[in-house]
Amino acid sequence: MTGEDERDDGDEGRADQFVCTAAVLDVTPDVVAVSNLGVASYVLAGVADRERNFYQWGSMGVTTPTGLGLALAVDDPVVVFEGDGSLLMSLGVLSTLGAVDPPNLTVVVWDNAIYGTTGGQPNHSASTDFVGVAESCGVPATRVRSEDAFEDAYRAATERDRTELIVCAVEPVDPDTRPPFDFAHIKRRVREELAGE
Amino acid sequence: MTWIDQAIDGLKRTNIELIAYLPDTTISPLIEATQDDDAFETVLVTREEAAVGVLSGAWLGGRRGALLCQSSGLANTFNALASLSVPARLPFLGIVTRRGDLGEFNLAQVPAGYNMPGLLDELSVRNHSVHDAEDVDDRVEMAAESAFSTETPYVLLLETTVTGYKEESK
Repeated sequence: MTGEDERDDGDEGRADQFVCTAAVLDVTPDVVAVSNLGVASYVLAGVADRERNFYQWGSMGVTTPTGLGLALAVDDPVVVFEGDGSLLMSLGVLSTLGAVDPPNLTVVVWDNAIYGTTGGQPNHSASTDFVGVAESCGVPATRVRSEDAFEDAYRAATERDRTELIVCAVEPVDPDTRPPFDFAHIKRRVREELAGE
Repeated sequence: MTWIDQAIDGLKRTNIELIAYLPDTTISPLIEATQDDDAFETVLVTREEAAVGVLSGAWLGGRRGALLCQSSGLANTFNALASLSVPARLPFLGIVTRRGDLGEFNLAQVPAGYNMPGLLDELSVRNHSVHDAEDVDDRVEMAAESAFSTETPYVLLLETTVTGYKEESK
């Protein structure tokens, strides 16, 4: 599934995770966002603390499955802000995405090549072809390295009725912003927004 | 009614419509019954902890679901239950065939399966074992009510006295 869907913008450079996160909210203002524990959630909270943000405080490896469940329950677009370390913990979920393929789901993998929340230890990102793994599991995927390429890829993914994965190489960041610490408050807010109760 | 018909009844009465599952010999007839029934949408996961995510996300969006798997698979959900369902106070319903006790031939099923009620208690996940087939209907309904009214995880363990078991030693 390369060719026309290929948006690889080179081998150099890393995008700004804040700018790319903001781009998602600009392109799809009503998107329901599930963010991985740690940096992905810290950045999302810093960009916009929204009622449609379901931040994770734990459950590494379960972020993308949570986005899948949301996509099966709502008609609005759903985005997962996944971490490379979390996806490495649960690559099998890509097989499930390929089989279920909800039309309204986009998985963004922030590839910073480290375990950012535990102090920046290296992970196996460098030797793992996330796009190749995803496509082998039946999930069309794209790799980008710049903010412009990311926004183009995200916009294109949301215009197609299928689940897609975007791997975005990003500079590691260590934000000070945090989501609400009260985990049950986060879930109540999302549920009331989406299900009205 | 068979225990399978009873389980389907209980699921329908509590508006369960999404089934995440991984197969097990004794629970497969129930999984197949949900697949043959338009009232349910089924999702095969590759690891049981993913089901906790799928069902949590679905509930946030307004849909109720349940996980069908065996007890060794439930052991794969512990980090998700402990760091998502319990602290976020998210409902979760597991309907789980319990291995490791009566009739068990496989020692690999014993540590997690036999001790599952205690392990769940340690995680603060309430649970109940069903020993009689005739109890399945109302116990499924009550387990669902427990999970969704309190917005916490609840696991119903179906014992081999309900489901039967693999006979390997004859």
